[in-house]
Amino acid sequence: MSDRHPFQGNWVARLYERVRERGYDSLTAFAEARPTASLVALAEELGPDDVAGVQVFKGLVAEAERSRRLTRLVRGQLVRELWACLPNGWPAVLDDANRFDVAHALGAWVTFTPETHKERADKAGDALLATPPHPGWRPLGPDDELLLTLLPDEEV
Amino acid sequence: MTAESPGRVEGNAWSIALSAHVAFLGAVNEVSASSRRVSSALSRLKAGDPGIPSVGNSIFVRYVDYGERQRQWIDAELAAATRMATAASKVEDPDMRLALLRLAGPRLEAAMMGSLLLAVWLDFLNLTDTALARHLQSVETLFMNMDRLQKMLEPTMTALSSLEPEQVEAAAQDVPALVGHLTSEFAALREAIRKGAEVLQKALALKEAMEALTLLSSLKFSLPRLLPRAGPATLGVGFMVGSNGVMLGTRMVVSAEWVEMMRQLVRAGILSVPAVSAAVRIQAGQVMMAEAHGELPRGVREALGDGPEVRGMHVTGKAGAGMAEPPRHHVMPKEFREWFEKRGFTGEMDIDQFCVRLEQAHHEAIHGGGDWKLGRIWPGEWNRMIMEVLGRTESRAGRMLTQNEILKIVAERMKAYYIPMNFIPWRGP
Repeated sequence: MSDRHPFQGNWVARLYERVRERGYDSLTAFAEARPTASLVALAEELGPDDVAGVQVFKGLVAEAERSRRLTRLVRGQLVRELWACLPNGWPAVLDDANRFDVAHALGAWVTFTPETHKERADKAGDALLATPPHPGWRPLGPDDELLLTLLPDEEV
Repeated sequence: MTAESPGRVEGNAWSIALSAHVAFLGAVNEVSASSRRVSSALSRLKAGDPGIPSVGNSIFVRYVDYGERQRQWIDAELAAATRMATAASKVEDPDMRLALLRLAGPRLEAAMMGSLLLAVWLDFLNLTDTALARHLQSVETLFMNMDRLQKMLEPTMTALSSLEPEQVEAAAQDVPALVGHLTSEFAALREAIRKGAEVLQKALALKEAMEALTLLSSLKFSLPRLLPRAGPATLGVGFMVGSNGVMLGTRMVVSAEWVEMMRQLVRAGILSVPAVSAAVRIQAGQVMMAEAHGELPRGVREALGDGPEVRGMHVTGKAGAGMAEPPRHHVMPKEFREWFEKRGFTGEMDIDQFCVRLEQAHHEAIHGGGDWKLGRIWPGEWNRMIMEVLGRTESRAGRMLTQNEILKIVAERMKAYYIPMNFIPWRGP
């Protein structure tokens, strides 16, 4: 492994240094400017050699806890997973392959959801499957109307 | 992809994975063809009469059987390598596809080296068979000779069939020197037989038999003094890369197609430079000289795909003297072995094959220790996370995940955790 590595040194300081270099005052602001990018893509933009996607997520959770906007972050994370797993939007027919892609998006999303919000995320997933959105649905960010209905902000 | 940036896919990752895949199948086919040739030659030896089957209560048959056993493990490795290539072809993620091919690499490498040695063993069997059939040497002398040769061959064959990447690679590097020794043995045996024939006044008849034999021999280029027609001694003649392939003087050692196939496999980290170089040197007959432990000229090595990044990629983790090797870590947690077995992770795709070596700091971070000062709410422990995402996806899918789907999810999580997609087998309990 190289001497530059995401898990070496003070990665939190490094993360914020990169965010500031790119003209943002918070990781959340940086991430929300790229609402459909995956965590890995965000990490790659911040430091292809020394930032990991999981660290970006850790940073986002910490900021959201402080600003009491965790639900918004959780919605934003679903947007990222949907774009990664369902690039053509919500499928018209849930055949076996599409069903896996939807399951993958939801499974990855709830896994990358803070414990306190997992249950609500699960229920939102149930609701999405019970009343599927229109084919091609691909939310553009945490302010998507349907997402706000499924996971309204509670903190504010 | 380099070892330094595990999760970063180059724009042409797909085409790299594809050409590596094609080269892999080509190399498997080539070794399989050689194995089939050996197999039928061994059958002929066992059936031929007079000679090995009939002399001395069939005591020589065991040496044919020894060859047959080697052919069996070589074929088993080739079959496993083919199955892994098939599994790789179903994987969408190009990095994971390459990782699976790299995982199969030591099997292909072992089969390649093993089949080179097996061809040499077949040469000895043929020579012995001729000597036995024509009563040119005492049965006892020939028997003792084969016994000694088998002992010479065995450690390397055992290491090659061990499936430990480090052992396979070390053995592969020793193969040219071993072939060098065996070549001198072959020359000595041939000379002894020739002298025996002179005494018996059978020299003329033998000459033809010997020449026919040696022309087919895998050692023919190593035996210039014995076979004047093969050309002048190769000492002092340099290797060159030409448009037709690798040349030694005016003779083509390996074709340009072969070089290209090997280059793809070396660049993708599937075969090691030492193994491929060993194969070239054996083909060239450059095994008897002092350079038995030497390297091919740089131009040739580069044509075969060598380069600093490849060397970095292929360091199999041997730490320097006194340094502890970084711990190996199951990517698919061993506590859930059965769960993975039910979903197809058995045999060469056993979860023990999918380990990564992580530096201590990294390892602890993934397990929730180290620098994870933010990790109160979200326990980032790898095992728990990977089982959670697999379990959640499976229950949403409403059916068992396939091997390919599991690999897709694992690849994605590995990228998020910046874990290099370079698998090594588990070692330990």
